[in-house]
Amino acid sequence: MNHWSCPTCNRDYAYELDACTWCHVPLVRVTPVSAEVLATTEVAVPSVGHEDVPYWCALVRGADGVGSIVKLDYAINVGETLRFGRHTEVDLEVVGILGTGVMGRGLAELLLARGHRVVLCGRSEDGLAAAKAKVLDRLGRVMDEEQVRQAECRLGVAVGYAELSSCDVVIEAVVEEMEPKKVALAQAEAHMRSDAILATNTSGLSIDDLANALQRPQNFGVLHFFNPANRMRLVETAIGGRTSPETAAFLDEFSRSLGKVPVRVAATPAFAVNRALMPLLNEAVRELEEGVADAEAIDEAVRLGLNHPMGPLALADLIGLDVVANIMTNLAERTGDDTYAPRPLLRKKIADGHLGRKSGQGFYVYER
Amino acid sequence: MPKPCAYVLGAGKTRFGPTSKTIPQLAQEAIIEALSDARLDPCDIGAVIVGNFLGGPNESQLHLNSVVAGLLPGLNLPSWRTEAACASGGVAVHQAVLALSRYDNILVVGVERMSNVVGMELTRNIGMAGDVVLDQIAGLNFPANYALVAQSHFAEYGTTPRDLELISLKNHANANLNPKAHFHLKEVCQADIDAGPPVASPLRLFDCCPVSDGAAAVIISSRRADSRSVPILGSAVASDVISLAQRSTCTSFPAARAAAEAAYAEAHIDSRDIDFAEVHDCFTIAELVAMEDLALADRGQATMLVRDGQTSIGGRIPVNASGGLKAGGHAIGATGVGQIYESVLQLRGEAGSRQVEGASVGVAHNVGGVGGTCSVHVLGGAT
Repeated sequence: MNHWSCPTCNRDYAYELDACTWCHVPLVRVTPVSAEVLATTEVAVPSVGHEDVPYWCALVRGADGVGSIVKLDYAINVGETLRFGRHTEVDLEVVGILGTGVMGRGLAELLLARGHRVVLCGRSEDGLAAAKAKVLDRLGRVMDEEQVRQAECRLGVAVGYAELSSCDVVIEAVVEEMEPKKVALAQAEAHMRSDAILATNTSGLSIDDLANALQRPQNFGVLHFFNPANRMRLVETAIGGRTSPETAAFLDEFSRSLGKVPVRVAATPAFAVNRALMPLLNEAVRELEEGVADAEAIDEAVRLGLNHPMGPLALADLIGLDVVANIMTNLAERTGDDTYAPRPLLRKKIADGHLGRKSGQGFYVYER
Repeated sequence: MPKPCAYVLGAGKTRFGPTSKTIPQLAQEAIIEALSDARLDPCDIGAVIVGNFLGGPNESQLHLNSVVAGLLPGLNLPSWRTEAACASGGVAVHQAVLALSRYDNILVVGVERMSNVVGMELTRNIGMAGDVVLDQIAGLNFPANYALVAQSHFAEYGTTPRDLELISLKNHANANLNPKAHFHLKEVCQADIDAGPPVASPLRLFDCCPVSDGAAAVIISSRRADSRSVPILGSAVASDVISLAQRSTCTSFPAARAAAEAAYAEAHIDSRDIDFAEVHDCFTIAELVAMEDLALADRGQATMLVRDGQTSIGGRIPVNASGGLKAGGHAIGATGVGQIYESVLQLRGEAGSRQVEGASVGVAHNVGGVGGTCSVHVLGGAT
């Protein structure tokens, strides 16, 4: 959105140049605070560097009269005004995150990249320091040093939940089990403002059961992000019996503001995606048990035969075998259908401490 | 009529469309046809100019002037490659006209291979015609560029998606009459257009030209050889800032207006003298903008000619009798040369079932990017 202007003749340049072509004097960088939308298009075809579609391109003219093209992940209309720089940051929610696991860190990375302030809550100073370092390291792959430094300024870490009083939104991403989630949610709520929204990233526990732990269930709902959170575009949103309409609307709106596509699902076990995925993963484990083929072959067959980006066993390793087994157990218990229950080989892997990528071994062995 | 600035002695063109042929094979096919058409021997050629856009990113093949000159081995001719995005071919023809002060019988070859690169990579590569800072980073690929043009034309002049559909239908019908067109054998009806998926709103699939392989060649001389030599009355190139972000209007390309004005002045004609036009309809909206930039219609008024059928073969001013880029195909570096080929056929009365009756002056309009470069050629008149 920047352009460079000659202080002598007022000619504008789109590029960072040393001097004016006419006057030979140094140029001054100009950054407008807002711009009017002149034309827009919804782009449905992906290209290298712009793989996620649709996105929107807007031709805008800044308050200083200079035009530019802006890429947006939401629709905008001709005549609307875009605001840049600090003006947007003021409006962005401060977001608390409970948990420093893969999803907690991934959410922190996503939110910081989108300009939010983040409060990352964990159980120990050491765990938080490690999580913070990992998040900043990930951001360093897509940001320059100055941007990472600014992101670091927007990232607070805290043992316990007292810091959550500053948050507009809190997303719980602790271990996928009912009791620990209930404890974390209740303790977080006790420190949150009464108008703040509390969301759980559960992949399928009962929202109404979770809400039983809360004083303000009307402010509570499900934001189910997918790993890696910065790349996966889906957010499953779900509401409980006591969720208010305002909270329900916020869940979708907040997801869209992060460039995600919210899909509203009923508060049923494992929602839409994992309900379809878990039987696939479990059946792949069963194929392995029965000697249909080895792990590499099963994965290759599914990848090529179903056009999946990775095979089911590699995916289970990526998600974490303990997490997968928890979801399966929960599905089996809540539906009363034992076919959802984790296969014996999956249970054995977990008993042996082979939890997938994060432990260095699952169905595959990973270099650490 | 003034003295022509050059003559086209011969012209050749491959069929545009997907093929397994290589760049040398495509170029050679067009060259042999052009030499044969001009009744010249390869030894008569004085210089070679190659129009090409994506040899580097698509084929890992730059230095194409040498590759193409190698099709005339042993001659060690002066040669160079011209790149001006989708206007590479038209600009190469203009360079040949300029180079006549030094060389004669200049062989201009436009050639492009595109079908070997697919999907997202090709969309990115074509996007290299846009500014890397202003456009590419913002995801403004070429459909999106012309979508902004279309939306602005809709807002400013009341143009509708239906107008664009009429252009698509017309150009597909014309392509059915052109054996060298990309979609020569594809019948396109309203139902096909309705079923086309969105590409960049408001543009849908049938608003977009296809991705074509192909080559075209012409031989340019300062001297008329015989009655089949076709005069070039005016030849002009103009340029503009590269991005729509830098322009004050999206509904007209100032470079096209400047090139048209210069070419018409050189030819001593005005737009009323023109009998047919081959214009750069990479997207349907571009045909409307081209007609207005060429002064075939006032700004915002080209839709009237389209709605009245005046731009069809047999109409008052047939536009893209070849099928245009939309249905004739867009083998990018070859497109501008292919327009000269089509104009030559029309002016000689050799265009077969798509012949424009009484064609004596034609205009060829070739655009690079979203109006960053434009070449305009006026051909015909008294031989």
